[in-house]
Amino acid sequence: MAGFFREVARRVFAQELKDSNLTSRDESDQYAPQYLLTPTGAKVNRIFLVGTLIEKEDIGTDSEYWRGRVSDPTGSFLVYAGQYQPEAAQFLAECELPAFVAVVGKTSTYTTDDGNVLTSIRPESIQPVDELTRDLWVLDTAKQTLERINAFEKQEEPNAKLAKEHYTTDSAFYRSMVQKALESLRENV
Amino acid sequence: MKQTAESIKDRFLKLGIDVPEEDIESRLDELITKFKVPSNEAQRSVTNYFLKKYSIPKNEFYARQAEPQLTKITDILENGQWANMKVKVIQLWENTHESISQVGLLGDETGIIKFTKWQNTELPDLEQGESYLLRNIVIDEYNGKFQVKLNRTSSVEKLAEAVDVAGGDFTPAARESELMNIADLKEDNQWATIRGKIVQLWENSHEAIEQAGLIGDETGVIKFTNWASSELPDMEEGKSYLLKNIVVNEWNGRFQVKLNRASSIEELDEDIEVGTSTFTYFGALVDIQTGSGLIKRCPECKRALVKGACAEHGKVKGEYDLRIKAVMDSGTSTQDALINRELTEELAGISLDSAIAMAADALDPGVVLDRLKHELVGRYYTVTGHKLDRYILVESIAPRVSLDGELLEEMLVDLGVE
Repeated sequence: MAGFFREVARRVFAQELKDSNLTSRDESDQYAPQYLLTPTGAKVNRIFLVGTLIEKEDIGTDSEYWRGRVSDPTGSFLVYAGQYQPEAAQFLAECELPAFVAVVGKTSTYTTDDGNVLTSIRPESIQPVDELTRDLWVLDTAKQTLERINAFEKQEEPNAKLAKEHYTTDSAFYRSMVQKALESLRENV
Repeated sequence: MKQTAESIKDRFLKLGIDVPEEDIESRLDELITKFKVPSNEAQRSVTNYFLKKYSIPKNEFYARQAEPQLTKITDILENGQWANMKVKVIQLWENTHESISQVGLLGDETGIIKFTKWQNTELPDLEQGESYLLRNIVIDEYNGKFQVKLNRTSSVEKLAEAVDVAGGDFTPAARESELMNIADLKEDNQWATIRGKIVQLWENSHEAIEQAGLIGDETGVIKFTNWASSELPDMEEGKSYLLKNIVVNEWNGRFQVKLNRASSIEELDEDIEVGTSTFTYFGALVDIQTGSGLIKRCPECKRALVKGACAEHGKVKGEYDLRIKAVMDSGTSTQDALINRELTEELAGISLDSAIAMAADALDPGVVLDRLKHELVGRYYTVTGHKLDRYILVESIAPRVSLDGELLEEMLVDLGVE
């Protein structure tokens, strides 16, 4: 099936996503996907996360526009759903807090007036899940983040090099982030 | 015009035929003057008329004029070389690509070679078993094998005299193809040698086909076709063979292999174990695609109906079914998975009957899809099944039921935590 492939849903902790601000897209193609490069070198278009929905607010003026905050062991993700994400918006409107949720969506960025880049997620789907699924995601994301950090330290792949150049990433910082996440799991076991 | 007539007369004289000049002239005059045919066209037309009248084969007439430099098949050494060849069409293959007009094998005294004739060449079709003089063809190398291509500047001339072809099992020695695993046959038009066991012989539906069925090795199973025109021996179900110089062919995204005149079949003493090619994938179920949930199928061909109509049988009274087209995602790759009714019922805890009732209640089959999404999306599963194109046909699907404590400890140790 030439020409089309599905973007893989990357696994990134909230802390790392929050630290990301480098976007790229093929300018010659208006339909080209936008990617967000994270400090450990993940190139994210689609993301999959499981966490706890801790806040929700309808910030829309004319129509409903829902903002949800989903936390993981390292921080929180912001999820925005409006009329173009009707299923996700409906879920946010109706759900009770707090709740374990699984989110599949696309990353997007917003640059504030003072030049800060805020990352958020436009959900394709939000579904309630159980605590086990949340723990499985933390383990999964820890594993994939560690693999990225190891690859990043080798500085072989172009994404790793670019991330190093842009963020001057301190990989020890992200190792301790993963450690914190894993230790939180051990307390639960 | 007089001159043209004379030159035609001269050429026929060389063949020992005296054509009356008045006849030539009157014909030329009719074409050129009355029907405004350009003189060179008229000359050719008149020449052909007399060739026919005196039953002289055209190729003989033209061949005498200029005998081209001929290349023998074994002398083909260089990619991109142009050549003229006298060859016999040994076999025509079924042609799968719309830009190709004909494809098959040519042979001469020295060897056998694959040829391709493109659609846009507008050359006459070659017939199997006939011999031809091919002018201005191009040698092309692909995957270490040579082939010839007929192009727009090529010409095809049928020969009355058959070209002798080397024995049927003759294969140019330098061009024996590589022994490959069946799972690795992934390139259209690739030559290969495989060893495998005949898993199944199919009922033969066409007289041009000697045998068709499935052959498998440790890595997978693939369809094969043995054309009657290849004159190869029959194979038996359950026996293992070495098939040399077969061609891989892609059709509708699936691969198959075809035996041809250059192929050989060798029975093997060993019993090859056929891999079941089951595939296991672990990941999160991140999406359920449209066409999932409560669907209707055509009662004749079991295809899913689109807006109540079957692609093959039109408007039909559909039969209800439940299925899931799921997208699994491991974080580094994605995998489409097809989950049948039985597994769907088990997984989501809805029977087909209750799904029909739910849909009737809501006047919308979409509620079944919503329910499936609600139950399954965002969770981790291990699926196992056979691969078909981009799908896994799921035979078992199991949710992750516990956290892998060992992996957790391993990672913590890696991070230097006690």
